[in-house]
Amino acid sequence: MQILKKQTNIDFIGKRKPAIFISTVLNLIILVGIAVWGFNLGVDFAGGTVVEVKFNHDINAADVRKRAEAGGLPDVSVQSIGAAGENSFLLRLGGVTQLTEESAVKAQDAIKALGPVKSIYPDLANGIINLRSEQALTSEQLSKAVEATGTGVEEVRELGQAQAGGFDYQIVASGMADRIRAALMTGVQTPDFEMRRVEYVGPQVGKQLRNRGVAALLYSMIAILIYVAFRFDFKFGPGALLAMLHDVVMVAGFYLFSRAEFGLTAIAALLTIVGYSVNDTIVIYDRIREDMAKFKGKPFAEVINIAINDTLGRTILTSSTTALSLIGLLIFGVGEIRDFAWAMLVGIIVGTYSTIYIASPLTIWLDEREAARQAREKARLDQPKTA
Amino acid sequence: MDRGWYWRLGLVIGVTLLTVWLLVPSYYSLFVLDRADRNNLALLEERMPKWAPPAKYRINLGLDLQGGIHMVMRVDTKTALQKRTERRGDQIARYINTDKQIGQVTVNTDPEALRLSLTAADPNTMDAIEKEVLATFTDFVKVSRDGATLVLAPDEGQVNRFREESVDQAMLVIRRRIDKWGVAEVDVRKLGTDAIQISLPGRSDPEQAKELVGTTAQLEFRMVDDSTDFFRQTFTQTPPPTGSNITLDTSEGFPQLVGPNREALLAYVQPKAPADRQVLLECIPSATRKGVCDSYRTYLVEKEVPLTGESLTGADASLSQLNEPEVNVSFDAAGAREFELLTEKGTGRRMAIVLDDYVQSAPRINERIGGGRARITMGRSGGRPLDVWLADAQTLALALKAGALPAPVTTGEIRQVGASLGDELIRKGSLAATVGLLLVIVFMVIYYKLSGLIADIALALNGLLILAGLALFNATLTLPGIAAFALTLGVAVDANVLINERIREELSHGKTVRMAVEQGYDRAFWTIFDAHVTALIAGFILFFTGTGPVRGFATTMIIGLLASLFTSILVTRVFMNYLVHSRNAQTLSV
Repeated sequence: MQILKKQTNIDFIGKRKPAIFISTVLNLIILVGIAVWGFNLGVDFAGGTVVEVKFNHDINAADVRKRAEAGGLPDVSVQSIGAAGENSFLLRLGGVTQLTEESAVKAQDAIKALGPVKSIYPDLANGIINLRSEQALTSEQLSKAVEATGTGVEEVRELGQAQAGGFDYQIVASGMADRIRAALMTGVQTPDFEMRRVEYVGPQVGKQLRNRGVAALLYSMIAILIYVAFRFDFKFGPGALLAMLHDVVMVAGFYLFSRAEFGLTAIAALLTIVGYSVNDTIVIYDRIREDMAKFKGKPFAEVINIAINDTLGRTILTSSTTALSLIGLLIFGVGEIRDFAWAMLVGIIVGTYSTIYIASPLTIWLDEREAARQAREKARLDQPKTA
Repeated sequence: MDRGWYWRLGLVIGVTLLTVWLLVPSYYSLFVLDRADRNNLALLEERMPKWAPPAKYRINLGLDLQGGIHMVMRVDTKTALQKRTERRGDQIARYINTDKQIGQVTVNTDPEALRLSLTAADPNTMDAIEKEVLATFTDFVKVSRDGATLVLAPDEGQVNRFREESVDQAMLVIRRRIDKWGVAEVDVRKLGTDAIQISLPGRSDPEQAKELVGTTAQLEFRMVDDSTDFFRQTFTQTPPPTGSNITLDTSEGFPQLVGPNREALLAYVQPKAPADRQVLLECIPSATRKGVCDSYRTYLVEKEVPLTGESLTGADASLSQLNEPEVNVSFDAAGAREFELLTEKGTGRRMAIVLDDYVQSAPRINERIGGGRARITMGRSGGRPLDVWLADAQTLALALKAGALPAPVTTGEIRQVGASLGDELIRKGSLAATVGLLLVIVFMVIYYKLSGLIADIALALNGLLILAGLALFNATLTLPGIAAFALTLGVAVDANVLINERIREELSHGKTVRMAVEQGYDRAFWTIFDAHVTALIAGFILFFTGTGPVRGFATTMIIGLLASLFTSILVTRVFMNYLVHSRNAQTLSV
């Protein structure tokens, strides 16, 4: 059996200009889209709380949201996951602690009612109220006062007496997961749900993870490029790089337009695509190098066309087998893993495309430039010297 | 068949057997043992046949697959440093104004910049004050001097050491708290300079996770019972089980038991204690590994808790006249009364300072202590340099003051997965991977017939090799790891597609079967090698930058790619050579 019955002879190189044009436009749209709309950042990068809840009876997402709203959580997003009969939902909240601008004001007023205060300021990012009180207070006093305003208190830290007078305290607000549980409990006596997963990422950690992810992408591209430059001729480098960038941007585009959650798994997908994209490119580059020796004298563009046509069958095949291995994940995967599989599928398809239409043509372009430069050089040298 | 072929065949068979053998502990751990016993290495060892590899070589399930808590906690060393600078400012003022009386200074603190500025009432005294302060408070350096105002900053080295110690101390405290729950496989490690990462497999109770972060330590003052010869009697009458390494130690001047394992020590001695007495342990910190207890030392204390840390109002470390570090503590009015009573009754006895159920120190009470102030001397230096010894005192003071954690700790990240979800993910994940694998296998057989079957055998071996590799390197299988498993098998089979396509091509050029196979493998080799190396580069970078489940993805991918180089090139070639050579084939099913 053979996927391509007979030797193909498609003029890929001839159609390179429209292909490059379309790719450039698409890439630009995606880059602009990322800048304007941004990704649907997951809890890994944006910080926040995600809770996976499974109910033990039939309920739909709208009812879950209603219950959360009744419990005082107006801005929770509820998403049904898994099969319909599973009654599993993802609840997402942007805030990581119960301290919001609004609740902090109430809590501060309550603290001020306890006695004279030297200074008080809330640290919303960390969910902490810093307090310097004129008189000594007890932890119970403080936590009771704050909890009466509806903000849960995880603990009160007594930091001791300050040099300039006054007593220092830190009131740490409880996390959102507790709040979600409490909200879902409104109107029910015993919990009819199970909290199966809680993910909480503080804002600072989120930023760190994001920076690390972007750095990882850059490093791997550089490392792979160095390897390609070392193994192949220099003129293959830029083509491989642009094909790689193209693929990464396209997969990022998948995350952008599908609004799939962009988190650590997405970075893993992008990194895998970086590795995979070059795989495909290498198969053809190897062939081009081989054919260059075989068909000495033929124009470079023609050699490339032959190489692409000769390897077309296996390029399609290798992409298909990799795609086949993903089918299970596409069907049975949940959440981020399913998104990952889709992203890989997109990456495999555009990776194959970019190898043919971007990586290879670019080598021609560089070759032509090099030829032109040499011609100019030659012309300059050939010019008769005028005395 | 040449000699090399037999060698290669031997290698393939050997690796296959080794792979299967390596998977025995994983098989028993996942399919034979009960879910709850999955991490019970002793039981696993017992159940496995004698010839199996050691129980530790088994596939660890990631926290996302078996349920558990992954936490990252940030140690807020900045706040702790600010408080410390302010306290030192107080001490300097007191030292100059009351103790030495060489002038009157007012101290202002700039907590943001960590600066102390001293202003003398009489500018003429400032020279003497500067000299005295810099000579006494060596942990501060001079920043500037402008007439009657001297600006000081903490010494950079001191600040760094303080930061490091805060994190180490926090790690020690967290580890002790976890120890109390008896969780077997805890992983507590430093992350960067100011964060601690904790993995608690099999635990998913959020309350417990929170307990780790709470800074309010349970500080207790309890009387030590030295009147009976309890530990010596226990040790001689019912010797500890062999292998427990519990020894009787009298180096501190009274009999104590010392053992390396907390649970074993308590299990041995606690049931034998009198009803109104309790055995508490002191942690002997490891000299080499920070945040880890080397061994534990027993104390017999009264069950009654006469005084707790709630009545403590302050604690500060300083050097005594004898140049020994000490910690001065002060109590509120009620605490002071209680403490006076306690020391009066207990003069001559030892009082244990207990933090989070661990004896921190047990100083002897020399006299009745009134006035709500007490001094804890730090015992013998044990040959440690003075600054280390003093640092211990400072750590104790901080621990007493701010709770057990020397610097406030905030939760950076919590990922917590319930056990039921983990089971479901394992089921769905393996189903997904199996479906992908089957599709690839069927496709290869249909498309390449016999050669496809050979590639499939190699692929199956590759799958086993990945699992065995995970087991051998004690790596963790996570949900993204399962995705990597499926993906890597797809990439692995690519190599055989390339080889087979090349063979077909060579055949179509009219080459003999033998030549076609030889050249197919030779020509495809470098392409396959390059493709694997680039993927490996991405994998390693992901491994070094990723955490948690994503790291599991990278591990599985790296092992899979290495295995694929072996199976897709070497293993399939052994079979192909057999087909071509020994049967002297004229045609090849490819």
